[in-house]
Amino acid sequence: MNTKLFSPYVPRPVTLVEKTPLSDFVTRFTFEQDNGKPLAHKPGQFVNLSIYGIGEAPFSISSPPRRTNITFEIAVRKIGAVTSALHALEPGAKVGIRGPYGSSFPVMKFVGKDILIVAGGLGYIPLRSLLFYQLRHRDEFGRMILMVGTRDPKERIFVDEIADLAKSGDVEVLETVDMPDSTWKGNVGVITTLLPKAELDPGNTFVAMVGPPIMYRFVIAECRKKGIASEQIFVSLERKMKCGLGKCGHCQINELNTCIDGPVFCYTDIEAYQEAI
Amino acid sequence: MAKPKIAFFDFAGCEGDQLQIANLEERLLDILGHVEVVSFREVVTGHSDDYDVAFVEGSITRPEDEIRLKEIRKNAKVLVALGACAAIGGINCLKNFMAENVYREEVYGGSARWFPTYAARPLKSVVKVDAEVPGCPIDPVEFARITKELLQGRAPWIPDFPVCVECKQAGNVCRYEMGKMCLGIITRAGCKAACVTEGAHCWGCRGLVPGANLDAARIVMDRAGSDRKATQDLLRFFLGDTGAAL
Amino acid sequence: MTTYTVYKEQLPGLFEKWSKLYALHVPARLREGFYDLVPWKKDLEIAWDYDVAYNSAKRFVMPPHEALITYDRRTCEAKPVFDAPKQILFGVHPYDVKALNQLDQIMEAGSPDQNYIRRREATVVMVFEPLTVSSSAFWASVGASSVAHGFDLYWTKIGPAAFTVEVGSVRGEELLGMNGPLLASTAGDKEGARRAKARVLAKARKNALRYNWEETPRLLAKCWDSPLWRRYSQMCLACGSCNLVCPTCYCFDIREESDDQLETGVRSREWDGCMLEGFAKVAGNHNFRPKAQDRYRHRYFRKGKYIYDKIGELGCVGCGRCVRACTAGIANPLKVFNELWEETAHEY
Repeated sequence: MNTKLFSPYVPRPVTLVEKTPLSDFVTRFTFEQDNGKPLAHKPGQFVNLSIYGIGEAPFSISSPPRRTNITFEIAVRKIGAVTSALHALEPGAKVGIRGPYGSSFPVMKFVGKDILIVAGGLGYIPLRSLLFYQLRHRDEFGRMILMVGTRDPKERIFVDEIADLAKSGDVEVLETVDMPDSTWKGNVGVITTLLPKAELDPGNTFVAMVGPPIMYRFVIAECRKKGIASEQIFVSLERKMKCGLGKCGHCQINELNTCIDGPVFCYTDIEAYQEAI
Repeated sequence: MAKPKIAFFDFAGCEGDQLQIANLEERLLDILGHVEVVSFREVVTGHSDDYDVAFVEGSITRPEDEIRLKEIRKNAKVLVALGACAAIGGINCLKNFMAENVYREEVYGGSARWFPTYAARPLKSVVKVDAEVPGCPIDPVEFARITKELLQGRAPWIPDFPVCVECKQAGNVCRYEMGKMCLGIITRAGCKAACVTEGAHCWGCRGLVPGANLDAARIVMDRAGSDRKATQDLLRFFLGDTGAAL
Repeated sequence: MTTYTVYKEQLPGLFEKWSKLYALHVPARLREGFYDLVPWKKDLEIAWDYDVAYNSAKRFVMPPHEALITYDRRTCEAKPVFDAPKQILFGVHPYDVKALNQLDQIMEAGSPDQNYIRRREATVVMVFEPLTVSSSAFWASVGASSVAHGFDLYWTKIGPAAFTVEVGSVRGEELLGMNGPLLASTAGDKEGARRAKARVLAKARKNALRYNWEETPRLLAKCWDSPLWRRYSQMCLACGSCNLVCPTCYCFDIREESDDQLETGVRSREWDGCMLEGFAKVAGNHNFRPKAQDRYRHRYFRKGKYIYDKIGELGCVGCGRCVRACTAGIANPLKVFNELWEETAHEY
């Protein structure tokens, strides 16, 4: 590479190889790196994806790190310009990516410990990268508990996958919906109502949570009630990550740049920041 | 893929926005190369009701306009308001501040009673508008960009910040620092602060910026020495359909 | 550092030479009471006594619109765009150079912003010791009255026709010597420069913080819930003027436009500001700073605490541009910080 021509704003091409609808609104996209290398990301990181002519937007990586496989996955809700254009693409199409960017879940800390994964709404998407990384090394971790909360049954994503996880016995799965319909037979209520249902060993449990902005405060309070310390709680926060380099200023939480200091934060490190949660 | 069909329509207005588009000249040929124009009075002859995108100019001033506009809405997949009259009501709304008999008399003279009209209003008061190209007149460069965004399948972007941003980008001396009035503080940007850059002030032709702090703006104008009448006149010029002038 | 003495009559010849190699910008009067850096041309009257340049120097290193990449929609390939015109900024005041130095630190940190760095490297900065002080400026009380680096030459007017010029870089010295040998400043000349500085500092100190500027981050740490934020922000028009005129504000948005064939296109950055309503809004319309009060407070925390916590300097150099640019009359860091100080005074 001619280093004189390097700019961190230049994306590299990747090719869409698979497109799987997950719900009426959410689709999983599998990409292959054109450079023939694995993405080399860590669980919890994101990429900035470009559809030229439309724009660039940040997406959490949904697949676990892969050592040799050159594919990676994101799962996307059709909500804005880039996500709509993405949904219009068919396999074979190329897009640009920059990254992976940002901090990740400290999996090494979780070794030998229990992990509680709390996924609200689309929060399962980034947490999947952690979950499946841990499952690949299942015997290195203690109990794995997954809590999934969705607004209504129609919006549930990765339904079969989560059902398979529950069946496998590797993961204890608890699920709830806020607004049930006639098809729903499971728990009803917001995700916080699941926490009292789980028996946890507070001194030995790490928590990883991702969900809508409103969720964190309540789930953290429930965790604290259970006796889980702030240092054991990890959250991934959404902000407007525009440049991914800590320059453009859009994703700031007080003085933190979510794109480089986050998106994954230990709760201790953000507890004092009024804008965080 | 078949080229999208586009059509132009006008209601109460001067057709100045379509003229602006015609002024794109060579660029217009490139852009129109991606589409099939089925109706565009300023540029081509003929008309068809088979279209995907309708660009609609002018404001709605008569009951029968509504029927025609609803028909256009039904035919079009995407309806774009073209220019201030269509997007925000524009200067046609000046008449809304006059007694009905006065303006009808003024416009139609003795035969006023044969021409029913009502308060002028923007398209969005009658039908759902998918996108707008604001301004009086529109900026052809912005029209070109918005059209290209539609062609590439994205919802067009228009600035959601006030003209002050573009004035600062241009490096203009603020009208208020020169002791003058300016509506740039509450007006949607996108014009590259053209009027201020040319030495005038902003008239508000692109409509209110989302979330405009009208109370504060009024205080700023008062402090700048403008009396209520002068402020009101300025605000009525383009923003008559909003509550800003009241 | 070497200091030379240069006489006014030498300037036209130097400017002539420089303008052939660089785009040369010099301070000039725009209209009564308004000054700015403008392109030099022969016989242009230089406004030696300008109080503040209407626009800060940031536009020369981070222009309002700047292409970052070009893309090709057909191949999905992108290339960087670098544009770094060779330019001389003659007569920049020290507080503005301090702001440039701050931008340097931010843009070089982590992943270096090559577009910025290239422009900055192509820019020759010639500082000029101010002779007058804008009525809204307070740079002397925020540690921004002098700079030790970040410039090529430092000019001080020591008499009606003479300047001392301190050399800040080899490039600067070469430019200064383009018309022949230079005179080293005498002790008297240097004393003249010291006095000139003292004179302007005396004027600049009239507007001052009521406390040592280094206390600002500690002050703000106590003021998150101050009623001041709401009181002032009620008048906020969310117009971003305070951000955009600020010499240290660097936030930007990224946008793109395809060519008329819809084949290639350009992605650019544009000045943005945290006071604008949509600044922290994400797709789906959730706004992480929805209220004017949140945004207003964020700006002052950035200037007084966040930047300080990163680099040990205030993010405000006291130029006073935001004070003038704010039509609502609420953007005044000096007033805000002093009032917060008053509010919390009983806690000391």
